[in-house]
Amino acid sequence: MKKGGHKLYKELGDLARFVENAMKAISNAGPQLISSSQQLPTASSHLSDLNKMTEEGTLEVMRLTELIQDEHSHVGKELRAVIEVLQTMDCSKLAERLESINTLVGQEGKYLTEIMTALSFQDLVAQRVKKLVSILDEVQHKLMELVVVFGLQENGEKVVIEGTAGHLLKQLEESKTTAMKQKVADDILAQFGFK
Amino acid sequence: MPADPSMKILIVDDMVTMRRIVKNVLKQLGFSNIDEAENGQDGLQKLKSSKYDFVVSDWNMPVMTGIDMLRAIRADEQLKAIPVLMVTAEAQQKNLVEAVQAGVSNYIVKPFTAETMQEKLAKIFK
Repeated sequence: MKKGGHKLYKELGDLARFVENAMKAISNAGPQLISSSQQLPTASSHLSDLNKMTEEGTLEVMRLTELIQDEHSHVGKELRAVIEVLQTMDCSKLAERLESINTLVGQEGKYLTEIMTALSFQDLVAQRVKKLVSILDEVQHKLMELVVVFGLQENGEKVVIEGTAGHLLKQLEESKTTAMKQKVADDILAQFGFK
Repeated sequence: MPADPSMKILIVDDMVTMRRIVKNVLKQLGFSNIDEAENGQDGLQKLKSSKYDFVVSDWNMPVMTGIDMLRAIRADEQLKAIPVLMVTAEAQQKNLVEAVQAGVSNYIVKPFTAETMQEKLAKIFK
């Protein structure tokens, strides 16, 4: 019993030293923790700025693309009118050449539409950036709580932690491997009677 | 019955870039009577205040999501017959099943092409 008590006393001593060392380590890391938690809002702000910048850039490309689309539409109508006149004047060779030019203009119109739809990358990027900003906010709150709990910051207010970061991270991770393609979506729709 | 080029369409998306893309694609497909809303609640208000023939909606939006708006549309006697196409980055199978159960007319995964939009319109308005 005496021997057992001595062993327990030693175990408690070891545990106390471990806790003391851990507290010292956390205390030493305090300035870094405080610094990191202070930098995170800036990082979030930079990410939000990225969204604004990509949105502005995308809108400008859209504006220019729509201008070209309008001009293509005008050129197409003009060419059609000239072709009809040439056909009535029996200038079939010239009309054919203009017809092929008109076909090219029409093809370019399709490319312009493809440029527009390709710009949907901005929406996908913006949604991911919003999730990352939420995650950073959550991490910052947790760091602040560590700072407050271990007394690394005086008079720190208690931080309310919401459990969204893990959920959002999971969403981001899932979308890497299980994101559905249109073909799979169509197969499922077909199973529900969408033909 | 093929889609009427003069039909009134409501695009519901919180992202201005996506609204513009969908509007542009619809315009290229011959539709010009197009209105926009920034979220499900805004969309629902517009649907209740004016007659629309077709709704194209995002899923993830602040205030009211696309799926909640879809459920509200299907629960409303005046609106329930309006075809609703979801264009969304919510590319998980469970999302699609949820949308089908809520009464979606069809579903497009972002990013999409004009051909996909045309194909879905043809299926909805066949």
